[in-house]
Amino acid sequence: MTASPKADAILEGEGYDPSSSARRADRRDRWLTFAAFATILLAWTAATGSGLWQPFIKPIFLPSPVTVIETFFRLAEQGYQGRSLLHHVTVSFTRFAIAFSCCVVIGVPLGLMIGMNRQLRAIFEPPIQAIRPIPKLALLPLFMIWFGIGNLSKVIVIAAPVLPLIAISAMQAVRSISQKKIQAAQALGASPWTVFWRVVLPASLPGIFTGVRVAISIGVTMLVGAELTATSDGVAWMALTAAEYLSTDIVLVGVLIMAGMGYGLDRLVRAIDIRVVHWSGKE
Amino acid sequence: MITPIALDAPERRPAAKLLVERLAKSFGEGAEAVRALAPIDLFVEKGDFLCVVGPSGCGKTTLLNIAAGFDLPTSGRMLLDNRPIQGPGPERGVVFQQGALFNWMTVLENVAFGPRARGVSPSDARTQAMALLDLVGLSGFAQKFPYQLSGGMQQRVGIARALANDPEILLMDEPFAALDQQTRELLQEEIRAIWRRTGKTVLWITHSIEEALFLATHIVVMTARPGRVKAAFRSRFSENPDPLIAATPEFSAAKREIVQLLRSESQAAQKEEATA
Repeated sequence: MTASPKADAILEGEGYDPSSSARRADRRDRWLTFAAFATILLAWTAATGSGLWQPFIKPIFLPSPVTVIETFFRLAEQGYQGRSLLHHVTVSFTRFAIAFSCCVVIGVPLGLMIGMNRQLRAIFEPPIQAIRPIPKLALLPLFMIWFGIGNLSKVIVIAAPVLPLIAISAMQAVRSISQKKIQAAQALGASPWTVFWRVVLPASLPGIFTGVRVAISIGVTMLVGAELTATSDGVAWMALTAAEYLSTDIVLVGVLIMAGMGYGLDRLVRAIDIRVVHWSGKE
Repeated sequence: MITPIALDAPERRPAAKLLVERLAKSFGEGAEAVRALAPIDLFVEKGDFLCVVGPSGCGKTTLLNIAAGFDLPTSGRMLLDNRPIQGPGPERGVVFQQGALFNWMTVLENVAFGPRARGVSPSDARTQAMALLDLVGLSGFAQKFPYQLSGGMQQRVGIARALANDPEILLMDEPFAALDQQTRELLQEEIRAIWRRTGKTVLWITHSIEEALFLATHIVVMTARPGRVKAAFRSRFSENPDPLIAATPEFSAAKREIVQLLRSESQAAQKEEATA
């Protein structure tokens, strides 16, 4: 739809173009992000010399960025412990993806339900809150006894901290919806079903997305726990076994791949978030 | 131009559109209970524009919440067209102070929400919504989202949305309180025009005496908590088409009369707040 020029003037105020100043701010933000990454890389290069000068930190403790890149390409070419790097990455990603999608599929509806219903909240919230502070890694031996040493126990280790987090954030999202919006819908004749689909669910989306983004980093972190024992593939396993031989360059490649995985997924979810939840933070 | 009137006169009850009978509301229980509304009686006739003014915390919003069906009375009852109000319903259109629009829907979808919820076909709901947006002067903004509009425009959307169900009564909870003076005055004139055109019965909560005098056919002044009817008036200012009516000596005199009634109540309300 095209609003009249007059209408646009009312919307944006006199002589002030918010879109261009917003674009300038966006550009500045992107530049600052780039600068932050560049500074980290520069400090790393400076500390390790990268072959340009004597390293301040011995390569065995912290290999230079150049070494890490070389190691990455070597691993990509020759693989690690008989399997290709792509295989390790795929295995880890699959474990993460299965665990994470199960958590979203179960956790979001569960959280929405306990957010809306007092009785369900009384039943589910205390146990979930009680479970949350338990370090899930401590439960790994139990999970292996219960679910075997296969992929199931690994998926469960990753899901263990992610599921409560997603459920609780969905619950909080529901509970923080302005009561007025729900009342407005009811006063307009909406059935409980319509109130849920057209008001509660969309109004909770910003909170749900925030929960999912926080959960991504937790889930990727848990890969290390999942691949600690009883496996012979995966990126975290690669990093863990390389550490035993003091191959810090391989450790760093593994760590950086996991960081990239987490960061990439976060950016992806953020991009979806911005497209879907265009009203977030605006009133 | 305001004359005292008994808005709880029982002989006039059969004609009432909205009838409030011995209605009381307390929050909490036992010794902790706070009495928000003392038993009050009130009636609103079809086509009346009733403004309720009172000190803050006098229970005027509680009264509206019960009328909307968001809250249930502790005792007594409220009837619309002789039917007790037991929950929210589309025959009562509610306009909130702010923040009640659906930000994930366009302005058009917001206004069409009521008809859609009642099962009107999408194209009919759309046509109705467009007509109402035209009525409130926002037909050029149908595809915008509420957060892209100014506060005054958002309130117009809220009014159009409430009108979309063609309700028996409009319940307005200080709808212009958050707006700046100029916007408020402009919207007050518009709501007057809309009220004349649609002939809707209106229950309007406000803390602004000028707003009440400018808009209302009837004004109820409430006491400090627990709220009861302190005085009621028939007002003629809203019949006058002059938008500058507020500058007349009659208007000032009427305002002084209500201010004096309210002053002692506001002092009582502040005293209670200080001790609470």
